Amino acid sequence: MIKKNILAAVVCACLLIPGGIFKSAMISADEFCPLDSLKPRKVKSLDSLKRVPVLHQGRIKPFETYSKNILLQFSGREHYQKESACEWMARFLFAPRTTSDDKIFIVNHPEILEALKIGPQKNRRYSFRQLDSGFEKLKVLVDVSQGIAEKNQSIVDKELIRVYENLLLYIRLSGAFGFAIPHPDFTFPNNEIVNELQLPPHPGRSYSFFDILEKSEKLRQLAQSLDKKDQTNWSTEEKNAANIISTLLFWTDHYADCPLGIIPTKDQANEEWMSPMDTIIDNFFDPVYHDEVENLRDMTLNYWDGSQLEFDLAVRAFTDSVLKYASAKEQKAIGKIPLELFYNRLNLFLWAKFFYAVGFMLFLCSLLFEQNRMYRPALMATVLGFCPHLLAMMLRILIMSRPPVSNLFETFIFVGVISVVLGFILEAVNKNWLGLVVSNSCGLILLLIAGKFSTEGDTMQMLVAVLNSNFWLSTHVLAITTGYAGCCVAGIMGHIYILQALSNSVETKNRLEITHNNMLGILGFGLTMAFLGTTLGGIWADQSWGRFWGWDPKENGALMIVLWAAIVFHARIAKIVNPLGVAVGCILALMNVVWAWFGVNLLSVGLHSYGFTSGIANTLIAYFLMEVLFISISVFILGQKKIKF
Amino acid sequence: MSYRQKILKFKLIRSLSSLKITLVCLFLLYLLTLGGMVSQIHEGLYLAQQRYFESFVFLLFGFLPFPGAQAVMWVLLVNLVCVALTRFVYQWRRVGILIIHSGLLLFLVSAYLTLHQARESHLTLSEGQAANVSVAYHDWELAIWEAPLKEDSSLTDREVVSLDTNRFHPNQTIELVEQGFRISVKEFYKNCEAFSEQDSDAPLNASGITHLQSAALQKEPEKNKPGGVFSVTTGDQKTFDILLFGAETRPVTIKAGAKRYHAILRLKRFPLPFVLRLKDFRKEEHPGTTIARSFQSLVEVQPLEGKKFNAKAWREKLIAMNEPLRYKDFTLYQASFSVDESGQESSTLAVVQNAGRLMPYISTLVTVLGLVTHFSMMAVHSRKNTTNRKRHD
Repeated sequence: MIKKNILAAVVCACLLIPGGIFKSAMISADEFCPLDSLKPRKVKSLDSLKRVPVLHQGRIKPFETYSKNILLQFSGREHYQKESACEWMARFLFAPRTTSDDKIFIVNHPEILEALKIGPQKNRRYSFRQLDSGFEKLKVLVDVSQGIAEKNQSIVDKELIRVYENLLLYIRLSGAFGFAIPHPDFTFPNNEIVNELQLPPHPGRSYSFFDILEKSEKLRQLAQSLDKKDQTNWSTEEKNAANIISTLLFWTDHYADCPLGIIPTKDQANEEWMSPMDTIIDNFFDPVYHDEVENLRDMTLNYWDGSQLEFDLAVRAFTDSVLKYASAKEQKAIGKIPLELFYNRLNLFLWAKFFYAVGFMLFLCSLLFEQNRMYRPALMATVLGFCPHLLAMMLRILIMSRPPVSNLFETFIFVGVISVVLGFILEAVNKNWLGLVVSNSCGLILLLIAGKFSTEGDTMQMLVAVLNSNFWLSTHVLAITTGYAGCCVAGIMGHIYILQALSNSVETKNRLEITHNNMLGILGFGLTMAFLGTTLGGIWADQSWGRFWGWDPKENGALMIVLWAAIVFHARIAKIVNPLGVAVGCILALMNVVWAWFGVNLLSVGLHSYGFTSGIANTLIAYFLMEVLFISISVFILGQKKIKF
Repeated sequence: MSYRQKILKFKLIRSLSSLKITLVCLFLLYLLTLGGMVSQIHEGLYLAQQRYFESFVFLLFGFLPFPGAQAVMWVLLVNLVCVALTRFVYQWRRVGILIIHSGLLLFLVSAYLTLHQARESHLTLSEGQAANVSVAYHDWELAIWEAPLKEDSSLTDREVVSLDTNRFHPNQTIELVEQGFRISVKEFYKNCEAFSEQDSDAPLNASGITHLQSAALQKEPEKNKPGGVFSVTTGDQKTFDILLFGAETRPVTIKAGAKRYHAILRLKRFPLPFVLRLKDFRKEEHPGTTIARSFQSLVEVQPLEGKKFNAKAWREKLIAMNEPLRYKDFTLYQASFSVDESGQESSTLAVVQNAGRLMPYISTLVTVLGLVTHFSMMAVHSRKNTTNRKRHD
């Protein structure tokens, strides 16, 4: 850990000393900043901090996104009470003690709380102080859970490990900026040491780790002769120096390996980023790193003082330095930060959802009132919803420099876009509301589902080796998701067909025929794309594993969609089903898509966390039941009415 | 009378070309896919694949006979051919349908080829190591070779007789003329456990195993350890028993006349038409994470014509995820890797030999082309119809 610097020399000198007498100094090193009686004055605006690059989960992202990810990971939410994620994160890093009572840890399983003897709370969220009381117990339980093979871990085991890892992360992150804050370990009862080390005067004689480390040259001089002398002969000066050195040593050990990657290395080939403390340990006396750490120190102090201008200047100086010494690849990633902040700020999906909802409401109104007056506003609303939707997808492509679909969250966005486009095409052909209804309902539903999945963490993760191929992501994945979109739209149209048949108005017959023809066309489109996607998937598998087809669950799910669509078409040609049957077939195709999309993931347990999996299983079952109910009731009613299709 | 009318005279062909057969088959295939998918949770991929997809018939829930996917696909093939003979309309407006179904026909053929042709094995090499044989995943062989008179590491070739254990059945006798002895199978288990007890009558074994006990097959077929007791009769009519177990590393030695032979049960070996040497294995992770960004094996290849081997004529090639090495029918993929305690890296490459490798590519191309043609023609056609109708109105 400690490398070739003067600190190391100092420390080495100390290692020769029997450790016993320094224990008093070590115990007092607390996890947290001790100034809990004080509240930071805080700076008003964190706009400059938002754009500081952080390396997290293999991706360089703005501090704002990083904060959101961490807070989501802890609490499942993107803000804490009235604070934004960024504000909370700044408070947590710069003044960790002020967050120990914040209820930010979500614990999904009541058994865990029982085991830790913590009273359950309504919103399932607990503060660090609450959980910390049961930390020792938690650690013992987690040791047991981790001993179980991942396949055999129960829901409780998984949740235990998750909570424990979150707590550990909290503890480790809370020390990230400890170096900058005055601490009791470096608070001196009188001016003796202050003068010896030539420290600048400071209220309460309280200094930070950083302040003391700046004087390590002085310390080294004081400690030079220590190992030659017997302990009993040490002067007070020397004892003080030895004490401080051992505390420094303790700190470097205790706060090392902090998972906050904020300082890139100057080494172009090394892609790892360091936390402030690890930078101090490795390279404190390198002027570049020293200045960067000093900037971070200034940020912390100015945050406490509430000096906005000085804070911003420190952040700016830090960011400039980071950009200057990052490698070309890293600079490119940092260059995309403004774009990502822009994307974060616009809240595009919210607007899209809003306008889709408006469009759908207008359609409902049109059923009650005059149709023609509502048509143009509804069309406008759909277009207004589509623009932010498409823009969001484009921005994501630009930010990540990869095709639009690479994880589950993105499939919803993309399928949404395609469905809306299909709706527009239908509308352009028929001009009879059909396409608008499809667009609005598909867009709205898919974005709502996407919203559920965005609580999983970063929606722009890095990809594992086998997926890390832009060619296949943009061919196979786009084809299969377009196929999903086709079948979804056909399924929605199946519903519309049945509802139209039920409404039984004068011009029903003609309208039903139009819906039927369009539905077949869209299902054909879905079949073509799903087939293409499935076989391209086979070709990808052949390229990377040497087999075209392996009956893997995901492959099977896709094959089922293709087979089902083929069954519907053949049944129609064989005149085994009438148009109503085709509509039911389309709804079943939609159910197939839902199964391939979500159900398959449920089979291979372990991909997703507990809260997600069990929740989705129930929703899935509820959805299937509702569809079955809808189909059987409406087919029954239509049978009673004796309508000829 | 046209050909079609002649063909239509055959009642069998007529009834085989029914669309109802197609529908039933498609639906069965659908059910099989679903069943095979769900049963993977308990049975594992290998068993589910054999039961649902590669079989002709199997017992559903243990008692209900159900056609396997292979049978269904044969019926579909026959059905498709009959439909092509009797029902297809060979006209321009149906060209899409024709292309689609010829693509699907190709798919069925390539499925047959892959099932009977493709051979999967693997090859694990440490850095610096070379090999020209690959190892099967879960097929075993009984290998017998002449024991060298003295241990000689410079010996690079040896003649090995290998017997496929998949065909072993009790009381089967195999005559090894050249070696001058006869082996008959007394017991053979596809998966078993080995025990060692004090027993003077125990069969000959190199690791002190005295008897075997049959065990249930594992979910992952790689975990099965076969074993068997064989009786050996030498040319001078001496008879004795040997016991072989899959987990053993030491062979049993058989004395036949003046010569000594080694026998061992091992995973099947397949000779490759080239030598492959692993120069370097590289693994990269996304910075600050344990998410793998790439795996790569830098290998050197040299074709083997007869027994000629040139120590200098290596061809370098980088095998990475999605970038396999292709050589004739063989394709080698990056499959996995390991690092031992001393930091020695080794890389496992999957070796696939499949003469019909390109078939699915062609079938895909043809079918998709047909789908696109058909549905675009349909769309244009229906558009025309609607405009016409509007005009009439």
